[in-house]
Amino acid sequence: MRLIYLLSLLWAFPTYAADTEPPIRFGLTAVVVTENLRFLDQWSEYLEHKMGRKVEFVLRKSYREVMDLLDSGGIEFAWICGYPYVQKREPESLRLLTVPIYRGAPRYHSYIIVHNSSPYRRFDDLKGKVFAFSDPDSNSGFLYPLALMIKKGEKSEAFFRQTFFTFNHAETVQAVSEQVADGGAVDSYIWEYLAVFRPDITEKTRIIKKSPSFGFPPIVSRLGVNASTVKIMKNTLEKMDRDPSGKALLARLKLDGFGNYSDSLFNEIRAMANTIQKSWPTPPMLPTD
Amino acid sequence: MSLFSSKTWPLAIKLSLTITGVVAAVSFMIGTVMVVQNWKRSHEDLGEKALLLSESIAITTPKAMLRKDIWSLYQSLKNMASGRPGTRGSDEVLTAMILDADGRVQTHLHPASNPMGLPFLPSNTIEQEFFQQAMNARTPIVLSSGGFSKTGFQEGVVPIFSDQKYMGVVRVRLSVAQLYKKAIDTAVTVLALTICFVVFGSAMGTIVSRRMVKPLTAITQGLEAVGRGEMTDFAPVPVKRGDEIGRLSVTFNLIMAELAEKKMLEEEIAMSEKLVALGRITAGVAHEVNNPLAGLLNCVDTLRKHPNDNQLIDRYLPVIDQGLHRIKEIVHNLLVGLKNEENYETIRIENIDKLRDLIAAETGGMDIDLIWKNDTDKDLRVPGKLEQVIYNLLKNAVEIIPDGGRVIFRMSRNGTHLSIEVSDNGPGIPSQIRNQLFDPFFTTKPNGTGLGLWVVYRIVHNMQGIIEVESEEGIGTTFHILVPISTMKDA
Repeated sequence: MRLIYLLSLLWAFPTYAADTEPPIRFGLTAVVVTENLRFLDQWSEYLEHKMGRKVEFVLRKSYREVMDLLDSGGIEFAWICGYPYVQKREPESLRLLTVPIYRGAPRYHSYIIVHNSSPYRRFDDLKGKVFAFSDPDSNSGFLYPLALMIKKGEKSEAFFRQTFFTFNHAETVQAVSEQVADGGAVDSYIWEYLAVFRPDITEKTRIIKKSPSFGFPPIVSRLGVNASTVKIMKNTLEKMDRDPSGKALLARLKLDGFGNYSDSLFNEIRAMANTIQKSWPTPPMLPTD
Repeated sequence: MSLFSSKTWPLAIKLSLTITGVVAAVSFMIGTVMVVQNWKRSHEDLGEKALLLSESIAITTPKAMLRKDIWSLYQSLKNMASGRPGTRGSDEVLTAMILDADGRVQTHLHPASNPMGLPFLPSNTIEQEFFQQAMNARTPIVLSSGGFSKTGFQEGVVPIFSDQKYMGVVRVRLSVAQLYKKAIDTAVTVLALTICFVVFGSAMGTIVSRRMVKPLTAITQGLEAVGRGEMTDFAPVPVKRGDEIGRLSVTFNLIMAELAEKKMLEEEIAMSEKLVALGRITAGVAHEVNNPLAGLLNCVDTLRKHPNDNQLIDRYLPVIDQGLHRIKEIVHNLLVGLKNEENYETIRIENIDKLRDLIAAETGGMDIDLIWKNDTDKDLRVPGKLEQVIYNLLKNAVEIIPDGGRVIFRMSRNGTHLSIEVSDNGPGIPSQIRNQLFDPFFTTKPNGTGLGLWVVYRIVHNMQGIIEVESEEGIGTTFHILVPISTMKDA
């Protein structure tokens, strides 16, 4: 029904100039959104309709790839994590555009999860076990557990017996639920999202630690993008909650909307990143290509 | 009891059972071979499939192992096991694992029980052996649980090399459960077919063998009828074929026809023999009765002519009396046993013993050795007629033997029978007259009537006894008589 409504809107206001101007490219990773192509099509159609420009979602496996695309001008906008956002770039190449509002605030947590049947109660119990990270540039899925280890004074890479990256929060949950990993760090937003749509997976996991709240993974724009396009995108996203089709799409994302927030929202992440940078300049768990 | 003994079963059933048995055995054998061959081939195919799956995993493994990309290793195993749409038989993956060169789990399809980074722990000694073989493999091999079992497996083992450096091994184990089920299904089908063949075969066998054996059944029934002496209601066995049974039927029909003819001839002969015997009796009667009659009539005629001649009367009357008595005796003897005499009076056994003295008296002056052996119970009673039988035999014996001859009489009870034996050491009976011995009016004695042995035969026959003669010329003759005691008691 919703789809028909969206389509009818498209027919009523046909897009123009879409053929003449180059498409707006929007970078995404599976870390943030599950790869639901039908949903992404609907979202891009919505954005195209509102902005009068063709919008293309560009999917990449890792944040790093998306960041590289931003650096090289391959995309104009991207939904990235707070950790890559706060990392120092010389010169600065991106700007905070808007932040998703989740359960009334632009904040989320990192969950340390274990298998439901496992005996582990605290993060310490996971010492010498197998641990799943989601993305090396993820705040909730890598930076936070790293910070936990540093806080424990564990400087050695031998805290865990083995670690691996799934590059996808949902798959981290899956890895823990199938006991490939004894523990994992996931985005609370994704875990709760899965708890609604895939309760069979989340039911097999148990949260043993919940981080303090962090700034929600933001949407950023490349510095080179012209101001009007940035403004239209910001407006379109921040007004999504004001029309029914936008609301429907937000409901699918389990978000309340997008809001204008200052960079200070990410201060906690920034502080954590700095701490780690000091004590552990290059985390040894990072995959090397 | 005979119902359960296969030896007495009708030929039709035996034939059809044999046909059924052969059909069942052949179809069962073919089926078994089919199932076994099919199992072997599928088993080998499964091994190949396991190897193929292992190899496909092994191709992407070294890079992921170097990067410690355990998650993608695990996912490749999982994708293989869970199968993508369009792939087949994916649920047959029992287990799959990637082990490093030291036998540590890099990833395992069942990570809960096989934690990664730790040495792989085989669950038992058999698994330990498979593990050793897998770790020692430097070329792709197939490990098999062997045997025909639902829980069996085929395992593809492919060593992983990167730049000719041994990195570990991929093991993919496929279950034979589906093959087993298929084999069982095939076996059930084969069994069902065998049963169908058996039912169909036995039905066909019964029909065919019945048709084949039908003439034999008719012949058997015909022969049984012959055995019972029934020849009249014999219907010829229809002949439809020219095979052995057909020829047998033809021969049987011929034999039966000839037997029927023979029986007819025999009946004719018997009839003519009867007529001959009747003629002989008639002639005997005519001779024996007519001769005295002529004399008697002559006497009567003479007396009629001289009614007052007392001398003639005194002379002829005894002659007439004697002649009439002889005729009376002949007629009486002839009738012995012919009419159903009711007065079966019994006598004591001592009456028989009195015959000894009587015969001894009748020998006159001859010196005869009469040996008398009566072993019967003194209280036994025997029919009175037996006295005449023994008298006649003894009389014949003493008349035939020369002076100084010997006659032996023996009588004993032999269970339910009374055995009597009269033997002499006379000249014996010439073989050519032996079959006329019991005929009436047959005699070798000049004054004999030829009715003595006839009377013996008739009496013994009436008692449902048996009389036998044993004779050798120059040595002697023995008559054996066997009469049932029950008959005597009834009498």
